[in-house]
Amino acid sequence: MEISLFDAAAKGFLNLLQFKIFFALLMGVGVGTFTAVAPQGLGIPLVYAIALPVVIRWEPLTGIAFLIGASSVSAICAAYLPILFGIPGGSGSQATVLDGYPMGKRGEGRRALGASFMAGGMGCLIGTLTLALAVPATRPLIYLMGSPELFVVMLWGLSMVAVLAGRRPIKGLIAAAFGLLIAMIGQQAQSGVMRFVFDEPYLLDGISISIIALALFGIPSALDLALTKLGVEQQPVPLRGSLFDGVRDTLREWWLVIRCSFLGVWVGIVPGLGSQVVDWLAYGHAAQTCKGARETFGKGDVRGVIAPESANDAKDGGDLITTLLLGFPQGVSTALFIVALLAWGYLPGPEMVKKNIDVVYSVIWIQGMAGIIGTLIGFVLSTQLAKLAEVRYTFMVPTLFLFILMGAFSVHRDPLDLVAVVAFGILGYFMRRFAYPRPALILGLVLGDLMEKYLYRSMAAYGFTWLTRPAVIVLLILSAVSFIFTLRGKLKSASEYPSTLGGAMGKAEDEG
Amino acid sequence: MKANLGFFFLAVFSVAVWAGWDWPYIAKLMPIYVVAIPGLILASVQLYRDATDWEGRQRGKGGGIEMDEVYEVKLDKATEIRRTVNFFAWFIGGALGIWLFGIVIALPVLVSLYAFVDGKERWYTSLAIGACTYLIVWGFFEYMLEARWPPGVLFR
Repeated sequence: MEISLFDAAAKGFLNLLQFKIFFALLMGVGVGTFTAVAPQGLGIPLVYAIALPVVIRWEPLTGIAFLIGASSVSAICAAYLPILFGIPGGSGSQATVLDGYPMGKRGEGRRALGASFMAGGMGCLIGTLTLALAVPATRPLIYLMGSPELFVVMLWGLSMVAVLAGRRPIKGLIAAAFGLLIAMIGQQAQSGVMRFVFDEPYLLDGISISIIALALFGIPSALDLALTKLGVEQQPVPLRGSLFDGVRDTLREWWLVIRCSFLGVWVGIVPGLGSQVVDWLAYGHAAQTCKGARETFGKGDVRGVIAPESANDAKDGGDLITTLLLGFPQGVSTALFIVALLAWGYLPGPEMVKKNIDVVYSVIWIQGMAGIIGTLIGFVLSTQLAKLAEVRYTFMVPTLFLFILMGAFSVHRDPLDLVAVVAFGILGYFMRRFAYPRPALILGLVLGDLMEKYLYRSMAAYGFTWLTRPAVIVLLILSAVSFIFTLRGKLKSASEYPSTLGGAMGKAEDEG
Repeated sequence: MKANLGFFFLAVFSVAVWAGWDWPYIAKLMPIYVVAIPGLILASVQLYRDATDWEGRQRGKGGGIEMDEVYEVKLDKATEIRRTVNFFAWFIGGALGIWLFGIVIALPVLVSLYAFVDGKERWYTSLAIGACTYLIVWGFFEYMLEARWPPGVLFR
C-alpha cells in the first residue's frame, strides 16, 4: 500500500534520528566546508568522486547524509576565496569576486562573508522548501511517465546540457557522446554482447565512473594549484570588519534574496544551466534591478555578494527536483549522486517516487539541516576557516595526489586503475584546455546505462510505435521547440550582446 | 594542438563504429546508431571549425557562458609548460611508485618528496606530511578499515 506524503515526510525525518547518520552529516559538512574554503575551491565533484568508492559501502542514509551534507555546505562557504583572494571558489561563486574582493580590500571582508553566509543559508532553505513542495505537485505527472517518456526526457536533457550551457555547443555534444560511449564499454545486460572490450579483461565491467570523475576533475584542480603556486606566490587580503553588518545587509535586502533564490531554483531545474551560470544570472538580475547598481556594482557593493550567493545555494534544491523526481542529473555532483543511489539499489525518478518516497523526504530533510548547520559553522568559525584558505599549494597538491591515486587504486586494486586515472587525467587537462566541457562527459557516462535500459524497454514493449505515444510526442515537440529557441537565442545574444541576458552574462564575464 | 583533440574524438568514434558494426541490432542500437555515428559527424564538423579557426573569429562576441571552468592561467608560456610537465611527471611517478613499491610505501614517499623538492618545505615539515599520509594509508585504511593494499611488484 502506498503511504501518504505526510507519513512519508514524517518517516523520512524519523529515518534520520540515528547517531551515525547525524555523524555522517557532520562529517560531510566538515569535508564540504574544507573543500569550499581550501585553496582554489576544490569543488564538490571532486569530493564526490573521492568519496564514492567509500560511501557506497555504507548504509544508504548514512552515505546520503555525507554526500548531501558536503554539497549543501560547500555552496554556503564558497565565498572565502572570492573575498580573500579575488579568485572564484566553487564554480557558483565566480560573480562574487566582482564585489566581494573589493569589499575585502576595503577592510570589509567579514561583512561580505556575513552577507554571503546569511544569503546562502536563506537561499538553501528556500531551495529545500521548493523541493519539498515539488514532490506533491509533480507526483501525478511523474506517475504517467514510462520508459519511452523517460528516454526522451534524458535525451532532451543531455542535448540541452551540451547545447545550452556553453559557447561551443558542438564540443558539448561531442563530450556527451564520448561519455555515452564509455558507458557502453563492457558486457551488455540485454544481449550478453561484449562491447568495446578488445579482449582486455580490465574492460569487461567497464571503466569505473569514480576513476574517470577523479581524473577529469581532480588532476586539473591539482594542476591549477601547482601552476599558480597559491599561498606562496598569491597572498590573501586581511580579514576585517564585522559579520553582523553583513547579516543586517542581507535582512534589509530580503526581497532580493527571495528573487535570486527562486532564480537559483529555476536554474537548478532547467537542464544545462548549472552553477557556472547561476551566479552570473543572479548578479545580472541584481545589477539590472537594484537602485544605483550602475554606479556601485563591481566596486564593493554588498548586494553584488548577496545576489549570487543566495541563488547559488538555492540551486541545489532545484537540482534535486529533477535528480530525484525525474532521475535526470543537472550537473556532475548530482550525476555522481545518482551513481551512489543506483549502487544502493534506488532508481531515481518515478520508481523512487513510487517505492522509496520516504528516502526522497530524508534527502530533503538532510538538505535543510545541512543548510542550517553550514550557515552556523560559517558564522562561528569564520576566522579559523579563513586561515584554511591560506594553506599553501605545497600541502594541497600532495594531498590531492594522495586522494586521487588512493581513490582510483581502491576501486579494483588493479595497476590498470592507475593507468586509467593517468590517461583520463591527461584527457581532462586537454579537455579543459581546449574547452570541451567535462560535465557533459560525466553526464553522458552516468546516463548511458539508464538511457539504454529505457530505450531497450521501449523497443521491446512497443517497437517503433513508442514514438507515437501522446506523451512522447508532446515531449519531443517541447524538446524540438526549446532546442531551436535555445540555439536561436544563442545566435541572437551573440549578435546583440549585451542587450540580452546571454549577452549581459558574457559582458559581466568579460569585465570580470 | 586544438585540432589534435578533435582528431582524437574522430578516431574514437570511427573505431567505435568499426568495432560495433557487426554486433546484433539490439547491441549496437544505442552505441552505434544513437552515439557513435552522430558523434562522428559532430567531430568532423568540429575539425572543420578548428581548421578554419571558427572559434577564433567568434571570440569577443559574447553570448552564452562557459559550462566548465575556463582555462585562465596567466603565466608566460615557458613557465606554464615547465610547471605542467613537472606536475604530470610527479603524478605519473606516483602511479609508477604504487605499481613498483605498493601504495603504503609509495604515497608517503611521493607526498614527502613533493613537499620537499617542489614545494621547498623544510625537511621536517615534509617528513611530517609523509608520516600523516602513512597514518592515513596504512593506519586508517589498512589497519582500522582492514582494506588490504596489494604489495608492489618488487615485493611479490
